[in-house]
Amino acid sequence: MKIKKNRLLICLFVAILFFASTSSAPVTPTYAIVSCKIIPVTGSPIEKGTIIIRDGLIESLGPQGKITIPEDAEIIKADGLFAYPGLIDSHTNLFLEPPKEVPRRPGARTTTATDPRQKEKAQHPDLMAAKLLKPKKATVSDLHKIGITTVLVAPESGIYAGQSVLLNVNGEKAEPMVINSPVALHVNFTTASGTYPSSLMGTMAFLRQSFLDTEHYFSHKSQFSKSSRGLKRPEYNSFLEALSPYVVKKNPIFFNCANLEDIKRALRLIKEFKLNGFLTGANEAWRVADLLIKNAEVPLLVSLDFKPPSTSSYIKQGEELKKKAEEEIYPANASNLHKKRLTFALTSLGLKKPDEIPKNVQKAVKAGLPKEEALKAMTIIPAKILGVSSFLGSLEPGKIANVILTTGEIFGEKTKVERVFVDGISFGIKKPAEGEKPAKVNIAGRWSAKISSPMGQWESTIELEQDGNEISGRISTRMGSWEIRDGILSGNELALSISATIMGEAMNLSFSGTAEKDSIEGTITVMEWSMELKATRIPDGEF
Amino acid sequence: MNRKTIGFILGMSLLVFSSLSFGQDLLIKNGTILTVTKGTIPKGDILILKGIIKQIGENIKAPKGVKIIDASGKYVIPGIIDSHTHIALAGTNESAEVITAEVKMSDVLDAEDRSIYTAITGGVTMVHTMHGSGNPIGGENVVIKTKWGKTWEEMIVHSAYRTLKFALGENVKRSNIPTVGAPRYPQSRMGVNAIIRREFLKAKNYMEQWDRYLNAKKSKKTAKNLIAPRKDLRMEQLADVLRGKMVARCHSYRADETLEFIKLSKEFGFKIISFEHASEAFKIAKELAKEKIGISIFLDNWAYKVEASEGIAYNAGYCTKNGVLVSINSDSGERIRRLFNDAAKAMKYGGLSEEEAIKLVTINPAIQLGVEKIAGSLEVGKHGDIAIFNEHPLSAYTLCEKTIIEGEVYFDRAQYLKEREEMEMKKKEEEKKKEKKGGTK
Repeated sequence: MKIKKNRLLICLFVAILFFASTSSAPVTPTYAIVSCKIIPVTGSPIEKGTIIIRDGLIESLGPQGKITIPEDAEIIKADGLFAYPGLIDSHTNLFLEPPKEVPRRPGARTTTATDPRQKEKAQHPDLMAAKLLKPKKATVSDLHKIGITTVLVAPESGIYAGQSVLLNVNGEKAEPMVINSPVALHVNFTTASGTYPSSLMGTMAFLRQSFLDTEHYFSHKSQFSKSSRGLKRPEYNSFLEALSPYVVKKNPIFFNCANLEDIKRALRLIKEFKLNGFLTGANEAWRVADLLIKNAEVPLLVSLDFKPPSTSSYIKQGEELKKKAEEEIYPANASNLHKKRLTFALTSLGLKKPDEIPKNVQKAVKAGLPKEEALKAMTIIPAKILGVSSFLGSLEPGKIANVILTTGEIFGEKTKVERVFVDGISFGIKKPAEGEKPAKVNIAGRWSAKISSPMGQWESTIELEQDGNEISGRISTRMGSWEIRDGILSGNELALSISATIMGEAMNLSFSGTAEKDSIEGTITVMEWSMELKATRIPDGEF
Repeated sequence: MNRKTIGFILGMSLLVFSSLSFGQDLLIKNGTILTVTKGTIPKGDILILKGIIKQIGENIKAPKGVKIIDASGKYVIPGIIDSHTHIALAGTNESAEVITAEVKMSDVLDAEDRSIYTAITGGVTMVHTMHGSGNPIGGENVVIKTKWGKTWEEMIVHSAYRTLKFALGENVKRSNIPTVGAPRYPQSRMGVNAIIRREFLKAKNYMEQWDRYLNAKKSKKTAKNLIAPRKDLRMEQLADVLRGKMVARCHSYRADETLEFIKLSKEFGFKIISFEHASEAFKIAKELAKEKIGISIFLDNWAYKVEASEGIAYNAGYCTKNGVLVSINSDSGERIRRLFNDAAKAMKYGGLSEEEAIKLVTINPAIQLGVEKIAGSLEVGKHGDIAIFNEHPLSAYTLCEKTIIEGEVYFDRAQYLKEREEMEMKKKEEEKKKEKKGGTK
């Protein structure tokens, strides 16, 4: 009897867990995408096919007629459209709000710097991209517009820049996006300004020493945990703690390679310390292709940023060759690597705007990279490199429903993305509505506003984001901080809606007025009252 | 388009056409051969096979397929060696700290530095490229051959001494550099000496710590629960100096601090190969000769700062005659192409013989770098590193015509001039075309 009772309890517990987990997950509709050309990447294309998406996953796909459309499915007619797996950008610095830099005391420099912790302060291997995420609606829609559904976001600066996070771009909230964190440690061959190391040779020595120190620290710690008697307690060191998973447990380390010598430096360190190293950036990779063939086990993530590095010999020989380097030589990097049968992912590292990505893929294709290779380099290859190919990177039943629908072949000059599914959530690509005009000014930023209310003058600050002519943001008054949404800036005419909570009551406020570069004026209407609002821009850097 | 640019393009084209195996075959015929160590052959031939000198003499027949260079009326000398320079590097000093023995110039070699090309236009085939003089203890230097167009991996001379840069005096004290923020220690010559002593004491401690650990590990009694000491790359380098695995090259001007540094080397038992610049070496020539420490100096460059005020052009000649091994260096990516001129001056100032003078830029620096078995003179078995001059290399009118490394021609003045002319012609034609186009509009 006793056993049975226990079993019953376990069953109950499992049931509760099951319900708890299913009920907490957001319910996504079931979709049937019909009559599209399907490019699964890992299999052969299907001329006219159907894809069923359920619970955020690809339930099934196949030629039309062979796939039964579930009764509960919302049917998406995709005649003439192409379905591809969502693109993966396997190295970017988007989404991050970098930590505020503490201004250095002028002229401050280490004079002896024999204390190793002094150096460590200049570096931050423990900086987690996952904790710095500030997803912006504009960035999300910019990525969707070009078909990118998955991004590896890494901190940007410092020798030890920090640790990256892999995101499925499924909305505007940070945590539901996270696929994996931390993914990798990011290393730049740069210098620490004003402190050691201040030179490239110093950086190499610093990296080697910190790898050695991590190994030493870890072996001391593990010995102490085995038999502590008679052994000095290892002093806790957060810097080495952060490095341990990468140096000792061999988690991935991304070496950002700005030029061909950086590639060689990274390969030397990987070999010397038996690291699980990845080469990223690498826009001079073709110049050391033979070396890369010898090190084929080291994953290669090639940037679509074709700007020659400052060390490039091509830019030091006059304008003519410099121009050729920018327009022909560097864009041919990927094509040259492909000719050498090297496998690589393409990333946006170094590009400032997402829309440069398809443009530069087109340049790479023009320089000789086959289109299907470019597609692989942004789908299945990065998925494999990042260890997520069991659920991302291609259209296959059971994989995550990251699907994009395009008007033509991907990376085609006229091809547009119509709709993207991320984790099975559908995002239409917004086209401007009728009567709406493009925005004439950019009003993104911080504003200081005065509102003349029936209860006297309110001082408030407004933060605005702008995506094309769409405006969103927050307004903070002494009554509370409220979200601004569904804003439209048509020409100079600005209309906003504000979800306010006033004295515990949810209320909708609306604003209409005009916006210039540095001033906004208009009226806020709430129920029967109206209040005048005048705002001026707060210059950057002021708080 | 300037000269260097054209040279650069020329060199880059070499990269494409050169083979990757070690050395090439070459026969140089009918030149006046200055072997440097084995006299002069008025009209002789040198046969190089796979980069190595196989035969020197008269009327050598070329084996089948071997390329021949006719050097009739020309002077053939061993490739010039620059014992102290900072070319082909991405960075010279690690200036954020005072003691930086852990940094290595081999980590930041730049094979595309145009100074390499400048060097070969002056017959230079090998250089010792060094950490700067900003720190009492700088980094580990590296010896490379000036194989313009090759990768630096192919340039490194692995058989050379491992050398560590030390520096004394004004540069280290920051005498001629405006101070930013707090002044750094050391600020005086006694401070420089003290900090180097302190570091060597630390290194000795470090070595003892490791010895104790390794001994304890051997013994069964104490082997339990041992933790290896922290491996410190800075200390490892200094330990290598103390173990004799690395030698010191010390930037030093004044006689007094030079002698102090010699004392320090005796106290700790490390080897100084040479003092750099050493403009007061003539004052302590006997001491240097006794300790078998060489000098690597400018021939006639002095008084450019206070500690160089007593320099004289007779330094090289006087020290040579007193038994000091002297080499003339460039310390520059430009003067590097005129080292033979500097050597010639030692005949006028100091009265050296032709042979003694030419040794200043060939076999003497080779000995200082520990490469005298492969370079520095023309002898069978050494590398085929050769410079061919149109006149005697110590003549004021001489020009280097060809620079050859391991049997491969890296610089050919005639070809260079021809290609430059062609490029200039091409450019002019293009400009004309443009003008014509502009005119019809």
